[in-house]
Amino acid sequence: MAEIITGSRKRARAKVMLKTGSGTIKINSCDPLRYFGRQDLVDLVHLPLKTAGVMGSVDIRVKVLGGGISGQAGAICHGIAKSLIKLNPDLKSPLKSAGLLKRDPREKERMKYGLAKRRKRFQFSKR
Amino acid sequence: MGRRRRAQIRRIQPDPKFNSMLVSKFINYLLWDGKKSTAQRIFYGALSVIEKLTKEDGLTVFERALNNVKPVLEVRPRRVGGATYQIPMEVRTTRKETLAIRWVIKAARARSEYRMEQRLAQEIVAASHNEGTAIKKREEVHRMAEANKAFAHFRW
Repeated sequence: MAEIITGSRKRARAKVMLKTGSGTIKINSCDPLRYFGRQDLVDLVHLPLKTAGVMGSVDIRVKVLGGGISGQAGAICHGIAKSLIKLNPDLKSPLKSAGLLKRDPREKERMKYGLAKRRKRFQFSKR
Repeated sequence: MGRRRRAQIRRIQPDPKFNSMLVSKFINYLLWDGKKSTAQRIFYGALSVIEKLTKEDGLTVFERALNNVKPVLEVRPRRVGGATYQIPMEVRTTRKETLAIRWVIKAARARSEYRMEQRLAQEIVAASHNEGTAIKKREEVHRMAEANKAFAHFRW
Protein backbone atom coordinates (compact mmCIF):
# COMPACT_ATOMS: atom_id res chain seq x y z
CA MET A 1 0.00 0.00 0.00
CA ALA A 2 1.26 3.43 -0.89
CA GLU A 3 2.39 5.93 1.66
CA ILE A 4 0.01 8.53 3.03
CA ILE A 5 1.15 12.08 2.43
CA THR A 6 -0.45 15.18 3.85
CA GLY A 7 -1.00 18.40 1.95
CA SER A 8 -2.57 21.51 3.38
CA ARG A 9 -3.88 24.91 2.52
CA LYS A 10 -5.67 27.42 4.77
CA ARG A 11 -7.55 25.32 7.36
CA ALA A 12 -7.84 22.24 5.19
CA ARG A 13 -5.74 19.08 5.54
CA ALA A 14 -5.66 16.39 2.86
CA LYS A 15 -4.30 12.88 3.30
CA VAL A 16 -3.32 11.61 -0.11
CA MET A 17 -2.73 7.99 -1.09
CA LEU A 18 -1.25 7.73 -4.55
CA LYS A 19 -0.20 4.69 -6.58
CA THR A 20 0.27 3.81 -10.22
CA GLY A 21 -2.99 2.78 -11.83
CA SER A 22 -5.63 3.77 -14.31
CA GLY A 23 -6.40 7.33 -13.31
CA THR A 24 -9.24 7.09 -10.82
CA ILE A 25 -9.49 9.89 -8.29
CA LYS A 26 -11.66 9.66 -5.19
CA ILE A 27 -12.09 12.47 -2.69
CA ASN A 28 -13.66 11.25 0.54
CA SER A 29 -14.78 8.29 -1.61
CA CYS A 30 -16.57 10.68 -3.94
CA ASP A 31 -16.05 11.63 -7.57
CA PRO A 32 -14.15 14.98 -7.63
CA LEU A 33 -16.76 16.86 -9.65
CA ARG A 34 -19.53 15.61 -7.41
CA TYR A 35 -17.54 16.50 -4.32
CA PHE A 36 -16.76 20.07 -5.35
CA GLY A 37 -19.65 20.71 -7.72
CA ARG A 38 -17.40 23.14 -9.58
CA GLN A 39 -15.11 22.55 -12.53
CA ASP A 40 -12.40 25.07 -11.62
CA LEU A 41 -11.63 23.29 -8.34
CA VAL A 42 -11.45 19.92 -10.10
CA ASP A 43 -9.00 21.52 -12.54
CA LEU A 44 -6.91 22.64 -9.58
CA VAL A 45 -6.77 19.07 -8.28
CA HIS A 46 -5.72 17.87 -11.74
CA LEU A 47 -3.05 20.55 -12.08
CA PRO A 48 -0.12 18.67 -10.48
CA LEU A 49 -0.96 15.56 -12.52
CA LYS A 50 -0.99 17.55 -15.75
CA THR A 51 2.25 19.32 -14.85
CA ALA A 52 3.93 15.99 -14.17
CA GLY A 53 2.33 14.42 -17.24
CA VAL A 54 0.94 11.46 -15.31
CA MET A 55 -2.73 12.21 -15.88
CA GLY A 56 -4.55 8.88 -16.17
CA SER A 57 -1.67 6.73 -15.00
CA VAL A 58 -2.05 7.07 -11.23
CA ASP A 59 -4.83 6.20 -8.83
CA ILE A 60 -5.51 8.63 -6.01
CA ARG A 61 -7.54 8.37 -2.86
CA VAL A 62 -7.88 11.42 -0.66
CA LYS A 63 -9.30 12.04 2.77
CA VAL A 64 -9.79 15.74 3.23
CA LEU A 65 -10.83 17.51 6.41
CA GLY A 66 -11.42 21.06 7.53
CA GLY A 67 -11.69 24.36 5.74
CA GLY A 68 -13.94 25.24 2.83
CA ILE A 69 -14.08 23.75 -0.64
CA SER A 70 -11.52 26.10 -2.13
CA GLY A 71 -8.98 25.44 0.61
CA GLN A 72 -9.64 21.72 0.37
CA ALA A 73 -8.94 21.75 -3.36
CA GLY A 74 -5.69 23.60 -2.69
CA ALA A 75 -4.74 21.13 0.03
CA ILE A 76 -5.35 18.16 -2.29
CA CYS A 77 -3.30 19.83 -5.03
CA HIS A 78 -0.45 20.30 -2.56
CA GLY A 79 -0.72 16.73 -1.26
CA ILE A 80 -0.76 15.20 -4.73
CA ALA A 81 2.29 17.22 -5.77
CA LYS A 82 4.18 16.06 -2.68
CA SER A 83 3.26 12.41 -3.20
CA LEU A 84 4.25 12.53 -6.89
CA ILE A 85 7.87 13.24 -6.00
CA LYS A 86 7.82 10.26 -3.63
CA LEU A 87 6.65 8.16 -6.55
CA ASN A 88 9.22 9.53 -8.98
CA PRO A 89 11.91 12.00 -7.76
CA ASP A 90 12.54 13.14 -11.34
CA LEU A 91 9.23 14.99 -11.26
CA LYS A 92 10.56 17.32 -8.60
CA SER A 93 11.93 20.02 -10.87
CA PRO A 94 8.84 20.56 -13.08
CA LEU A 95 6.57 20.55 -10.04
CA LYS A 96 8.83 22.89 -8.16
CA SER A 97 9.10 25.41 -10.98
CA ALA A 98 5.31 25.37 -11.26
CA GLY A 99 5.23 26.32 -7.57
CA LEU A 100 3.12 23.30 -6.65
CA LEU A 101 5.35 22.04 -3.84
CA LYS A 102 5.12 25.21 -1.80
CA ARG A 103 2.63 25.20 1.04
CA ASP A 104 0.72 28.41 0.42
CA PRO A 105 1.52 30.27 3.65
CA ARG A 106 -1.45 32.61 3.55
CA GLU A 107 -3.80 32.01 6.45
CA LYS A 108 -6.75 33.92 7.81
CA GLU A 109 -5.45 36.99 9.62
CA ARG A 110 -6.14 37.12 13.32
CA MET A 111 -8.74 39.42 14.85
CA LYS A 112 -7.23 42.34 16.77
CA TYR A 113 -8.58 44.04 19.86
CA GLY A 114 -9.13 47.76 19.47
CA LEU A 115 -10.12 47.19 15.86
CA ALA A 116 -13.49 46.28 14.42
CA LYS A 117 -12.15 43.46 12.22
CA ARG A 118 -8.67 42.34 11.18
CA ARG A 119 -7.77 45.80 9.85
CA LYS A 120 -11.00 47.76 9.90
CA ARG A 121 -10.96 50.49 12.53
CA PHE A 122 -13.88 51.81 14.51
CA GLN A 123 -15.30 55.09 13.27
CA PHE A 124 -13.29 58.03 14.57
CA SER A 125 -15.17 60.46 16.74
CA LYS A 126 -13.42 63.61 17.88
CA ARG A 127 -15.14 63.68 21.30
CA MET B 1 -5.71 55.47 -4.42
CA GLY B 2 -2.64 54.67 -2.41
CA ARG B 3 -0.14 57.47 -2.00
CA ARG B 4 2.99 55.42 -1.58
CA ARG B 5 3.38 53.22 -4.61
CA ARG B 6 1.31 51.97 -7.47
CA ALA B 7 -0.73 48.94 -6.42
CA GLN B 8 0.38 45.62 -7.87
CA ILE B 9 -1.79 44.15 -10.60
CA ARG B 10 -3.45 40.99 -9.30
CA ARG B 11 -3.35 38.07 -11.66
CA ILE B 12 -6.52 35.98 -11.86
CA GLN B 13 -7.12 32.49 -13.18
CA PRO B 14 -9.02 32.24 -16.49
CA ASP B 15 -12.54 30.87 -16.16
CA PRO B 16 -13.09 27.08 -16.14
CA LYS B 17 -15.41 26.87 -19.13
CA PHE B 18 -13.96 29.09 -21.84
CA ASN B 19 -10.46 29.75 -20.49
CA SER B 20 -11.15 33.45 -20.85
CA MET B 21 -9.76 36.15 -18.56
CA LEU B 22 -12.61 38.47 -19.50
CA VAL B 23 -15.25 35.97 -18.40
CA SER B 24 -13.35 35.28 -15.20
CA LYS B 25 -13.18 38.97 -14.40
CA PHE B 26 -16.87 39.40 -15.16
CA ILE B 27 -17.75 36.57 -12.79
CA ASN B 28 -15.62 38.12 -10.07
CA TYR B 29 -17.46 41.41 -10.49
CA LEU B 30 -20.76 39.57 -10.28
CA LEU B 31 -19.70 37.97 -7.03
CA TRP B 32 -21.35 38.81 -3.75
CA ASP B 33 -20.19 37.66 -0.29
CA GLY B 34 -17.49 35.42 -1.80
CA LYS B 35 -20.06 33.07 -3.35
CA LYS B 36 -18.21 32.19 -6.51
CA SER B 37 -20.19 29.02 -7.21
CA THR B 38 -23.41 31.04 -7.29
CA ALA B 39 -21.84 33.73 -9.48
CA GLN B 40 -20.60 31.11 -11.94
CA ARG B 41 -24.01 29.43 -12.08
CA ILE B 42 -25.69 32.76 -12.82
CA PHE B 43 -23.20 33.70 -15.52
CA TYR B 44 -23.16 30.38 -17.38
CA GLY B 45 -26.93 30.17 -16.98
CA ALA B 46 -27.26 33.60 -18.56
CA LEU B 47 -25.11 32.50 -21.49
CA SER B 48 -27.35 29.52 -22.18
CA VAL B 49 -30.42 31.78 -21.98
CA ILE B 50 -28.72 34.03 -24.54
CA GLU B 51 -28.08 31.06 -26.80
CA LYS B 52 -31.77 30.14 -26.70
CA LEU B 53 -32.77 33.73 -27.34
CA THR B 54 -30.44 34.58 -30.20
CA LYS B 55 -29.47 31.19 -31.68
CA GLU B 56 -25.88 32.42 -31.55
CA ASP B 57 -22.85 31.39 -29.55
CA GLY B 58 -23.27 32.86 -26.06
CA LEU B 59 -19.64 33.84 -25.66
CA THR B 60 -19.56 35.77 -28.95
CA VAL B 61 -22.72 37.66 -28.03
CA PHE B 62 -21.21 38.43 -24.63
CA GLU B 63 -17.96 39.68 -26.10
CA ARG B 64 -19.77 41.78 -28.69
CA ALA B 65 -21.96 43.28 -25.95
CA LEU B 66 -18.96 44.26 -23.83
CA ASN B 67 -17.18 45.78 -26.82
CA ASN B 68 -20.29 47.86 -27.53
CA VAL B 69 -20.39 49.14 -23.96
CA LYS B 70 -16.70 50.10 -23.77
CA PRO B 71 -16.33 53.89 -23.68
CA VAL B 72 -13.73 55.71 -25.78
CA LEU B 73 -13.69 59.03 -23.94
CA GLU B 74 -14.66 60.09 -20.45
CA VAL B 75 -14.36 63.28 -18.39
CA ARG B 76 -12.12 63.62 -15.36
CA PRO B 77 -12.10 66.62 -13.03
CA ARG B 78 -8.99 68.76 -12.83
CA ARG B 79 -8.36 71.96 -10.94
CA VAL B 80 -6.79 74.77 -12.90
CA GLY B 81 -6.36 78.04 -11.02
CA GLY B 82 -9.16 77.60 -8.51
CA ALA B 83 -11.82 76.40 -10.94
CA THR B 84 -12.49 72.70 -11.49
CA TYR B 85 -12.94 71.72 -15.10
CA GLN B 86 -14.25 68.47 -16.54
CA ILE B 87 -11.50 67.43 -18.89
CA PRO B 88 -12.32 64.87 -21.58
CA MET B 89 -9.71 62.11 -21.67
CA GLU B 90 -9.20 58.87 -23.50
CA VAL B 91 -9.94 55.73 -21.48
CA ARG B 92 -7.13 53.20 -21.00
CA THR B 93 -7.85 49.71 -22.31
CA THR B 94 -7.97 48.03 -18.88
CA ARG B 95 -10.26 50.74 -17.55
CA LYS B 96 -12.48 50.39 -20.63
CA GLU B 97 -12.97 46.75 -19.82
CA THR B 98 -13.60 47.39 -16.14
CA LEU B 99 -16.16 50.12 -16.85
CA ALA B 100 -17.98 47.99 -19.42
CA ILE B 101 -18.23 45.08 -16.97
CA ARG B 102 -19.40 47.35 -14.16
CA TRP B 103 -22.06 49.06 -16.26
CA VAL B 104 -23.48 45.86 -17.68
CA ILE B 105 -23.79 44.29 -14.23
CA LYS B 106 -25.25 47.43 -12.71
CA ALA B 107 -27.78 47.75 -15.53
CA ALA B 108 -28.68 44.04 -15.19
CA ARG B 109 -29.25 44.38 -11.44
CA ALA B 110 -31.60 47.31 -12.01
CA ARG B 111 -33.82 45.29 -14.40
CA SER B 112 -37.12 43.80 -13.34
CA GLU B 113 -36.90 40.22 -14.63
CA TYR B 114 -37.43 37.70 -11.87
CA ARG B 115 -34.07 35.92 -11.91
CA MET B 116 -30.56 37.39 -12.12
CA GLU B 117 -29.83 34.91 -14.94
CA GLN B 118 -32.67 36.41 -16.97
CA ARG B 119 -31.74 40.00 -16.10
CA LEU B 120 -28.13 39.48 -17.13
CA ALA B 121 -29.05 37.63 -20.33
CA GLN B 122 -31.51 40.33 -21.41
CA GLU B 123 -29.06 43.13 -20.67
CA ILE B 124 -26.24 41.41 -22.57
CA VAL B 125 -28.47 40.74 -25.59
CA ALA B 126 -29.65 44.37 -25.51
CA ALA B 127 -26.06 45.63 -25.32
CA SER B 128 -25.05 43.40 -28.22
CA HIS B 129 -27.67 45.28 -30.30
CA ASN B 130 -26.44 48.64 -29.00
CA GLU B 131 -29.51 49.06 -26.79
CA GLY B 132 -30.23 49.00 -23.09
CA THR B 133 -29.22 50.85 -19.94
CA ALA B 134 -25.53 50.02 -20.09
CA ILE B 135 -25.27 51.46 -23.61
CA LYS B 136 -27.17 54.53 -22.47
CA LYS B 137 -24.61 54.98 -19.71
CA ARG B 138 -21.80 54.87 -22.25
CA GLU B 139 -23.55 57.41 -24.47
CA GLU B 140 -24.07 59.65 -21.46
CA VAL B 141 -20.33 59.55 -20.71
CA HIS B 142 -19.51 60.27 -24.35
CA ARG B 143 -21.95 63.19 -24.34
CA MET B 144 -20.21 64.65 -21.30
CA ALA B 145 -16.88 64.34 -23.05
CA GLU B 146 -18.24 65.98 -26.18
CA ALA B 147 -19.82 68.85 -24.21
CA ASN B 148 -16.53 69.60 -22.44
CA LYS B 149 -14.45 69.39 -25.59
CA ALA B 150 -13.41 73.03 -25.11
CA PHE B 151 -11.28 72.03 -22.11
CA ALA B 152 -9.49 69.27 -23.93
CA HIS B 153 -6.29 71.31 -24.09
CA PHE B 154 -5.92 70.95 -20.28
CA ARG B 155 -5.25 67.26 -20.73
CA TRP B 156 -2.36 65.95 -18.65
